Amino acid sequence: MSIQTPKDISSIDFGLMDPETYRDMSITKVITADTYDDDGFPIDMGLMDPRLGVIDPGLECPTCGQRSGSCPGHFGHIELAAPVIHVGFSKRVRRLLRGTCRNCSKLLLTSEERGEFLDRLERTIELGDDQSDVMKAAIRQARKKDQCPHCGEKQFDIKHEKPTTYYEVQDVLTNEFPELIAAAMQGDAVRDEDPDDVDRDPMSPDELANETGIELSRINEILSGTFRPRPEDRKAIEKALSVDLTEEDMNKLMASDIRDWFESIPDEDLEVLGIDSDHSRPEWMILTVLPVPPVTARPSITLDNGQRSEDDLTHKLVDIIRINQRFMENREAGAPQLIIEDLWELLQYHVTTFMDNEISGTPPARHRSGRPLKTLSQRLKGKEGRFRGSLSGKRVNFSARTVISPDPTLSLNEVGVPDRVAEEMTQTMTVTDRNRSQAQQYVSNGPNTHPGANYVKRPDGRRLKVTEKNCEELAEKVEVGWEVNRHLVDGDIIIFNRQPSLHRMSIMAHEVVVMPYKTFRLNTTVCPPYNADFDGDEMNMHALQNEEARAEARVLMRVQEQILSPRFGENIIGAIQDHISGTYLLTHENPEFNETQALDLLRATRVDELPEPDRVDGDIEYWTGRTLFSELLPDGLNLEFTSATGDTVLIEDGELIEGTIDEDGVGAFGGTVVDTICKQYSTTRARMFINEVAALAMRAIMHFGFSIGIDDESIPGEARAEIDETIDNAYDRVEELIEIYENGDLESLPGRTVSETLEMKIMQALGKVRDTAGDIVSDYFGDDNPAVVMAQSGARGSMLNLTQMAGCVGQQAVRGERINRGYEDRTLSHYKPDDLGADAHGFVESSYRSGLSPREFFFHAVSGREGLVDTAVRTSKSGYLQRRLINALSELETQYDGTVRNTKDTIVQFEFGEDGTSPVKVSSDVDHEVDVAEIADGVLEAEFEDDGDTFLEQVRDETDTRTNLSERMDAITAQGDD
Amino acid sequence: MVDATEHELVPEHHLVDEERLEEILDEYNIERTDLPKIKRLDPALRDVDAEAGDVIRIERDSRTTDTAIVYRLVIE
Ligand SMILES: [Mg+2]
Ligand SMILES: [Zn+2]
Ligand SMILES: [Zn+2]
Repeated sequence: MSIQTPKDISSIDFGLMDPETYRDMSITKVITADTYDDDGFPIDMGLMDPRLGVIDPGLECPTCGQRSGSCPGHFGHIELAAPVIHVGFSKRVRRLLRGTCRNCSKLLLTSEERGEFLDRLERTIELGDDQSDVMKAAIRQARKKDQCPHCGEKQFDIKHEKPTTYYEVQDVLTNEFPELIAAAMQGDAVRDEDPDDVDRDPMSPDELANETGIELSRINEILSGTFRPRPEDRKAIEKALSVDLTEEDMNKLMASDIRDWFESIPDEDLEVLGIDSDHSRPEWMILTVLPVPPVTARPSITLDNGQRSEDDLTHKLVDIIRINQRFMENREAGAPQLIIEDLWELLQYHVTTFMDNEISGTPPARHRSGRPLKTLSQRLKGKEGRFRGSLSGKRVNFSARTVISPDPTLSLNEVGVPDRVAEEMTQTMTVTDRNRSQAQQYVSNGPNTHPGANYVKRPDGRRLKVTEKNCEELAEKVEVGWEVNRHLVDGDIIIFNRQPSLHRMSIMAHEVVVMPYKTFRLNTTVCPPYNADFDGDEMNMHALQNEEARAEARVLMRVQEQILSPRFGENIIGAIQDHISGTYLLTHENPEFNETQALDLLRATRVDELPEPDRVDGDIEYWTGRTLFSELLPDGLNLEFTSATGDTVLIEDGELIEGTIDEDGVGAFGGTVVDTICKQYSTTRARMFINEVAALAMRAIMHFGFSIGIDDESIPGEARAEIDETIDNAYDRVEELIEIYENGDLESLPGRTVSETLEMKIMQALGKVRDTAGDIVSDYFGDDNPAVVMAQSGARGSMLNLTQMAGCVGQQAVRGERINRGYEDRTLSHYKPDDLGADAHGFVESSYRSGLSPREFFFHAVSGREGLVDTAVRTSKSGYLQRRLINALSELETQYDGTVRNTKDTIVQFEFGEDGTSPVKVSSDVDHEVDVAEIADGVLEAEFEDDGDTFLEQVRDETDTRTNLSERMDAITAQGDD
Repeated sequence: MVDATEHELVPEHHLVDEERLEEILDEYNIERTDLPKIKRLDPALRDVDAEAGDVIRIERDSRTTDTAIVYRLVIE
């Protein structure tokens, strides 16, 4: 195998191809539409000519001598019987036709104008803007000219009929010319002139002859219609009689005409349009030679029944060759012009659809089965096309996908990988003196026993598959210098991803924990960044294949490095749902625990010794919930903030003095304690804290027991009566409003109509019902109600949810208004037309607990559907927006000088974000700027004032990787192999 | 018409003299055309007598760095 070194690409030129180049690169002319002869051999100079490349394995290419796989394939060509337009350039052809002279082909611009556009072009190139804008402007300017400024030729409008037909809109002599001239000579109005406005003097044939300089006999012949005046004569007569003898006619421009036209456009004129004539002569946009793609680009498939099935491109080429031959035969036989033109159009159609088979207005070429053919442009375009499907994105090895499920015993840095996945995704280990016995162990375990190996590679480059049979034998042979592809083991780093990958936390690196069963296991605290839940979500895993990738993943992508979100600069990983209920129960009323209970709560944390008890009753010691929570806090942490519950949380030197720990304290999305630990201590400390909070909270919630049932939403009779009264009052108020409105006494609010005002007032009155019901409901539910606990702590749900369950669901809305759609003048046939009442427009007075009436249920479904439609529309819109944003921003890069530049090296920002700071490294609080002095003091003190002890301690703290048992760091360090 | 330059969110725009410009271009090792652009008729340039090809210095307030400086090339 020859070693190929990568080459630097200094520049790429795009341009049109010269027909001569097509011929030069062609290995053969293709003249026959047949592919194989009766014996199944490819026909010479046919579409399957062996010289075009080999696809059958084992055969040798007659052109390059290589075999299938190495032979790149070779182009052929078809000599087209008549030129045809390349569809890809139909717009450019139109522009050039409109901007150049029909006679001398020069650009229809004066030298001054040319100069201006040349300057503008130069400036555009300098600024790196789009050159085609200048071309468009120049063409627009040139098109205004009726006459060529160089040769004086009159110019006509060019009409473009898509895709490839062009007409000149010309004025030609109308067939009514004798009548028009006669009428004008009598001084009458002609055509649609208004007889009252005409002041034409009558003229005799003699006078006309004198005036125009045409002989009298010729004038008479013209008047009798036996002679059609020549253009000069026509103009003279028109001038003398002030009539218009012409009518519009479409003169079709044949591809050959256009080619001739373009051939004489001077190079200097093309320069003004931004066309480099060295690389792109415009006449090359009209094809005279068609390249035939190599067979490697259109391989034929042999079906099960032995029949050959040709590629769509081959089918298309067959069509082109057939028509091409018919065209030539007909022309040689001297067929009438009409037939020739028909064939020419057909040839144009086939060449057009060969390039692009999805042109609007043109019927797509179809396969015999009726399926549209996939031709050149269809291979490139769209999601499954060459660019998006094969180059930007492709299928990869060493990846796995399966359902995810939760495992609270894992660290947030870890992922549980099913053993059957671990056996498939391998890591390459290079055998050294130190890991040789380990490597041998892997190999001898074979491919089907967990920490085993699938392949080995000898130093000579030979790869051997490890099988059940040869594994023992092979293990003996493993020497230093071999490579062993071993299974994934605990502690390996992999990349984990959940689609849609909308932000960088959608792809994070995890450490492997190999487990039985078939799902990937995650710690529940990493659900927010992935936006994952366990209702059937699947995720992807990628095993990293080289040391650089593994190092990069470990340093930059590990979950603990992603705790802070660049989206809002605070933590996105933290306690969620039951974790928050748990810490709330543990700290809100600060309950006490005896030793057994306290140790049980802390059993999944590093804490194995209890602090001094808070209270001793006889010989029984008690610890409070806040004391136990404080065990997880790092020393020296000082904080004061308001919790979601509403009380003030005070933390002094790592002790929770007072307050409730809830969502605002430890939650994902900006829990103050997590955020502060992450910023003031380290990501490792934050990871440990989050893991331990989750573990403690789960123990706490299990200690107290936490459940919710139908009885937790039931309210006593008096409360029900109170709510019913509120509803009745609101109904009365609505009736009252409607009456005032119907009497015409309702005063409109500024800027609203009376009926709008009524709607607003009704909405207001009914909106108040739900608020009042909410107040009544919350009065009757104590702080120990589980729904209240969840709402107050921020774990899940809100007081509104509880109101709707226990009190009253309230007004249903579509587009922010009461429900007004359905039947004519009413929402349902159950109501009288124009009923404005509350129940007729979607007010639901029932609670979810009591159940909805059929009509209420219907209105509820109406407004519920709106929500679903909104989400569906939003996701598709935001997905497309995301794609466009990413495409626009993907090439921007922060340089070593701090500037953000694009690939053209133009500056986008002089400093990243205009302040050169990372959103995750700045203070979360607008009011509290970073206290540089304090940090500096701390660093100085740590480093110098106590001989660096504190500093060392801090470093030790940061490198301390132990958290809970699941991380098994001891086990990993013991068996580390490479 | 409203004078946009009076608005508190519109930062100061000043013309950069040629000498200073050379230093800036040297500092970033760029051509003048590699700078971000601003239209000559931009409302913020109302009080600046700028021609196409001039460079404008914009001084923005910043929470993190007090001021952020940006240069822009004036175009037609
Ligand atoms: Mg889901
Ligand atoms: Zn070949
Ligand atoms: Zn001309």
